[in-house]
Amino acid sequence: MVSTQLVTGTAARRRRRWSRVRRDRWGRRAPAGLAALLVLVGLLASGCGGNDAPTAAASPRSGGTLTFAAETEPGCLDPGYDPLNVTALIDRNIFDSLVYQAPDLSFHPWLAERWTTSPDRRTYTFTLRKGVTFHDGAPLTADAVRATLDHAVAPATKSLYAGSLLRTYQGADIVNPTTVAVRLARPDASILQALSTPFLGIQSPRALTRPTTQQCVHPVGSGPFSFVSWTKTQRLALRRNAAYTWGPNAPGARPGAAYLDGITVSFIKEDAARLGALTSGQVNAIAQVPPVSARTVRGNGLRLLTDQAPGGVFTLYLNTTRGPLTDLRVRRALQRGVDFTALTTSVYFGQYARAWSALSPTTAAYDRALENSWRPDPALAGRLLDEAGWTGRDGQGYRTRDGQQLRIFLPYPAQFLREQRDVLYQGIQASARKLGIHLDVVGQDSGTYTRAVATRTADIVAVSTQRAEPDILRLLFGSAEVLSKGGYNVLGLRDPTLDRQLDEAAASSDGTVRRRDYAAVQARVIDQAYAIPIYVPTYLLGTSTRVHGLSFSASGDPVLTGAWLSG
Amino acid sequence: MTVSRRLAKPFLRALGVLLGAETVTFAAYHLLPGDPAEVSLGVPNPSAELVATTRHEMGLDRPLAVQYVVFLGRLLRGDLGTSYQLHEPVTRVLREQVWATVTLAVAALAIAFAVSVPLAVATAGRRPAMRGLSSGGELLLTSSPSFWIGILLLSLFSFRLGWFPVISGTSVRGLVLPAVTLAVSIIGVLTQVLRDGLERALDEPFTVSARARGTGETMVRLRHGLRHALIPLLTVSGWILGALLGGTVVVETVFSRQGLGRIAATAITSRDLPTVTGVVLVSALVFCVLNLVIDVLYRVVDPRLRTATA
Repeated sequence: MVSTQLVTGTAARRRRRWSRVRRDRWGRRAPAGLAALLVLVGLLASGCGGNDAPTAAASPRSGGTLTFAAETEPGCLDPGYDPLNVTALIDRNIFDSLVYQAPDLSFHPWLAERWTTSPDRRTYTFTLRKGVTFHDGAPLTADAVRATLDHAVAPATKSLYAGSLLRTYQGADIVNPTTVAVRLARPDASILQALSTPFLGIQSPRALTRPTTQQCVHPVGSGPFSFVSWTKTQRLALRRNAAYTWGPNAPGARPGAAYLDGITVSFIKEDAARLGALTSGQVNAIAQVPPVSARTVRGNGLRLLTDQAPGGVFTLYLNTTRGPLTDLRVRRALQRGVDFTALTTSVYFGQYARAWSALSPTTAAYDRALENSWRPDPALAGRLLDEAGWTGRDGQGYRTRDGQQLRIFLPYPAQFLREQRDVLYQGIQASARKLGIHLDVVGQDSGTYTRAVATRTADIVAVSTQRAEPDILRLLFGSAEVLSKGGYNVLGLRDPTLDRQLDEAAASSDGTVRRRDYAAVQARVIDQAYAIPIYVPTYLLGTSTRVHGLSFSASGDPVLTGAWLSG
Repeated sequence: MTVSRRLAKPFLRALGVLLGAETVTFAAYHLLPGDPAEVSLGVPNPSAELVATTRHEMGLDRPLAVQYVVFLGRLLRGDLGTSYQLHEPVTRVLREQVWATVTLAVAALAIAFAVSVPLAVATAGRRPAMRGLSSGGELLLTSSPSFWIGILLLSLFSFRLGWFPVISGTSVRGLVLPAVTLAVSIIGVLTQVLRDGLERALDEPFTVSARARGTGETMVRLRHGLRHALIPLLTVSGWILGALLGGTVVVETVFSRQGLGRIAATAITSRDLPTVTGVVLVSALVFCVLNLVIDVLYRVVDPRLRTATA
């Protein structure tokens, strides 16, 4: 048997081994398309970076209702179905998980008092805590765990995210009413992390027998808050679960009942209105402060909590399979010819850090050596383009070769545009023009965009991904991880050297080997100009000074359960 | 003409409009690029099985003609289906949203009338300077994007003064700012149309004779001019009200209001055919009914029309 506390955390931020990928949806309200993938999300708590120092708070005080304005609205509150970050944020209050992952990435007991792993690492046996009851009065038993996991993978659920967390799940065996054994098809180091997310929060087995539409609109868990009401497009109300005594006894969590009497989540899509709601005191906290308003928030005596998302930063992925970017010299010219640092600073008002590697600085195995290693050099870019044969000029001043214009096509899904990336694109376009490159930036509807990506007619796909694990690099650059296989290597890059390093890193349990391989991958991606990392997506959470105890979960969502309001 | 035949004509016409609107919806849905099943799932790379299940559930694996017949059949039975995105029956979604839309539309139009009518009556045929000032202002109001006006009103009256809530909800207080925002852009159009009609009426011989009888200027305008100018005003108001009842996406979004507009916009981007169909049905119905009502009102306002059809 293997002991239970699998990861621990000194320097845990550097070693997030259990992870998750979460992306914006692209068809739906809320976060967005491949390109808008997830930027919205993120962050890791544990106050890195620019969190404003909390004002000296007195001891926590019970009572009051926290009002939180979210920028998107869940489509469905069934955590087994919906993939949205806002759903995770809300459901975290309603549902408890088997295990808890602290912000330092260590795992702790929650609904499972303890757990053991079989020698072949294919069976996890969880012993459940006694005395836990769901909001509908049903007691927590092994049945509930099995029903929850089966629900997530059942075809009828049509899970958009939770099911994918359980790719290796084979089934659960009820050993006795308080013991459940989860069987896996193969060893899966990410399973504890998966089980710790709200998406696999344990649901009341009684509630799971209701029709699907009921799961969506009336979630029933065992968490510190119970669901009260949800008025679509308006607000959602939660009430304190006074009987709650089974929270994790670990950093970043609260074992007992919540301080707050309730939580009201309002849905204010419009940035300016959301910000105004905070500055005028109509809500206590808001999600996603636009970078342009970060100073307004601070200037108004409010607090700004920030953190960088782990995973793949916002990056231009270049098409190496067709078109002008098959030529390394052209890719490198684009990479070195544009001052991305100046663009990032001006578009995001200094709130987002410039990215130098495809991996976020808050991800394990991030290679710091890349920082400032490929600074802009327009003269070099010009020489490279000349060498590549793009020496002619057309009437508009763009470079040509054999009468053909140097045109690079960058489509993006207009509906899901966020973070003013269109402004960023315009800046890149203007710089590219100086080099004689015609960067053709086109906002498209999501259907057209999907097709441009799937048929690889796009020369550039711009995406950010979130995952607290360097293995995200394999999903992004591994030649097997193409779109049809569910990977993110949508432009079909094939590089045997990268594949070898990525596979070796994934198979190795030796931290040194992994770090070395991942550093080599990051360096090669830059050296071969397969991708141009631009900025590190960062969550900006605005709160009034009355709010205390807000934090971020290991997976990067604001956690409201431990919050309290001062008078 | 018997009463039943007189009623049958507009009814058939309405049916034709509904059928046409729904057919256009169906065609547009299928002409849009991209696989509706994939787009409606809304995740970047859904598994092939999930897409296949969804396609089957949406009936997309059947021939287009069959899909169309099934689509019409359901409509005729009044079965709008369940929204793919909201996971609720479309009829319930519409019921929840329609009231917010109706109150907003009616309130906005009422405010617009309250401002436009006195303004037009006061400025029609007056000195060029006064008239020019007014019509310049109207042009400015009409061309100001409601998004900007909404944010401006919010900044002053909600963020700074705190008189109105940011999230307008269903309260009367929450209705004020969105209604004013919508009214602002309507005021320009209504005033222009009404003043135009008034000026034409004031040039008519009957106005001259009224003045010759010694009727005061205000009375001339209100009793004789206004009534004549109401016909074009009615036409425009009907159209505006119809458009407002179809939903006002921008204002609903800025003020975080419920309403058909937001529901429709989300449904379109996520290829939620049942919801789009439902909203189109409501909008088309509203237009048909409004047309009928306006027709009746024409006759109330203008006795000449009454005799003509009698």
